[in-house]
Amino acid sequence: MSRLSVPCHVKGAVALQVGDMRTFQGRPGVVVIDVTFPSIEPFELQEITFKNYYTAFLTIRVRQHTSAHTPAKWMTCLRDCCLMPDPHSEDGAQEYVSLFKHQMLCDMTRVLELRLILRQPSPLWLSFTVEELQIYQQGPKSPSVTFPKWLSHPMPCEQSALLLEGLPDPSRVSSEVQQMWALTEMIRASHTSTRIGRFDVSYLFPLLGLHCPEQVRPHSPLCYRWMAVMT
Amino acid sequence: MAAVEKRRPAGTPAGSFTDSGRPSVSRTAAAVESEEDFLRQVGVTEMLRTALLKVLEARPEEPIAFLAHYFENMGLRSPANGGAGEPPGQLLLQQQRLGRALWHLRLAHHSQRTAFNNNVSVAYECLSKSGRRKKPGLDGRTYSELLRHICRDGQAPEEVVAPLLHKIQCRDHEAVPLGVFRAGMLTCFVLLEFVARASALFQLLEAPGLATIDRRVGQAVLDTLEGALGAGDHATTPACYLEAGSRLGPDSLALAMDRAAAGRRPSSPMAREEFLEKAAALFIAKVKPVG
Repeated sequence: MSRLSVPCHVKGAVALQVGDMRTFQGRPGVVVIDVTFPSIEPFELQEITFKNYYTAFLTIRVRQHTSAHTPAKWMTCLRDCCLMPDPHSEDGAQEYVSLFKHQMLCDMTRVLELRLILRQPSPLWLSFTVEELQIYQQGPKSPSVTFPKWLSHPMPCEQSALLLEGLPDPSRVSSEVQQMWALTEMIRASHTSTRIGRFDVSYLFPLLGLHCPEQVRPHSPLCYRWMAVMT
Repeated sequence: MAAVEKRRPAGTPAGSFTDSGRPSVSRTAAAVESEEDFLRQVGVTEMLRTALLKVLEARPEEPIAFLAHYFENMGLRSPANGGAGEPPGQLLLQQQRLGRALWHLRLAHHSQRTAFNNNVSVAYECLSKSGRRKKPGLDGRTYSELLRHICRDGQAPEEVVAPLLHKIQCRDHEAVPLGVFRAGMLTCFVLLEFVARASALFQLLEAPGLATIDRRVGQAVLDTLEGALGAGDHATTPACYLEAGSRLGPDSLALAMDRAAAGRRPSSPMAREEFLEKAAALFIAKVKPVG
């Protein structure tokens, strides 16, 4: 599926802590990162990718545009997604993570703003955050989404084993039929531009304003064009 | 060994060979006139070169038979043959011209397109050199007759080719341009090959011992072909070729035949003529009519 990167502005991480930052010895367990989209209309979010850096749990809240009159509301779209199975060990600490819209708790349309809430209960790590944050929306659909049936459902090979006895060899039949097809296609493709110049007046071709019945009329521009090509 | 013996005197320059062969020439003239000059004078060099070119162009499987045919035809063509005494009747001349045109047309297979086109042009010229009073050009009657000739000699049943002739032949009074003539000839030859293929297909489908095939199976194969051809009507070129390839693959055909043979309808025989006629109808439907 094609995706399109959304230009976004990632604000600096804000650590939430009880007490005075400078004097309190304990490390903050929660960090909040705000993501805004100043240069784009409300969009449908497709995917969020980032590289984890010692974040154990991730919660995402989204502010969506509802209508012009009511103020936009904050919704939780991801709650305590576990990025590190054991916060005290390295597992998943620096992994690349991709979150899709179908993993979200709510609809991800008309997104105005995102808020990432990062939690790390373990005091082992000096700091934690997410890096290389990228937001994607759905890109334009590829031109040929519908494939013909013969392409998407190839004949299963096992079926030839089930064939009735006494039928002719399919591969030889196929070879002959393909030759016949090729000859016919060749004749279809070869055409001569020279014409013998036969002008047959029939009721199908209303020549030069002759009266023609109503049911022929819809075709008449086609006939004139045909005649123009001919001459 | 004998060939070497024979060739040896030819290698010696200004030999007695020329002398003894042509006693009227004086000794000095004989010295000047080499064998090469002689061959050129009587036109053999040119004739052999043309013949070799024809062989190269046509690349026949049996060159000897081809050359024999070629020289036979040369004899017919030379003015000395027809010029003696009373001029042959108009009908005979016409027959000769048709024969010559046919011969030219058959020199190269239609898949060797350049050679085939050359030969078609030569045949066209052959046919358009009609009587002295008439203007040069090919009329519809000769053209149609040539088409009938080709089909008759192609061993295709008459009712099979009749619809094609109806579609591409011209009326007696019409002047046939080269383009139409070439397209007609090509279509005719390709149809003959198509019918030959269909005939081979019939033999494949044929039940051993019987001269007929199961109608359901035969019809299923033809329907599959028709479907593949129909795909070309509405799809763009490369896509429709792929689709046709998929439809006409062994798996797909096997499935179609299997389904037909296992169907509930009772089996009935289908004769060769009917099968060929139905197959040819698929081909002829794609031929553009002359107009």
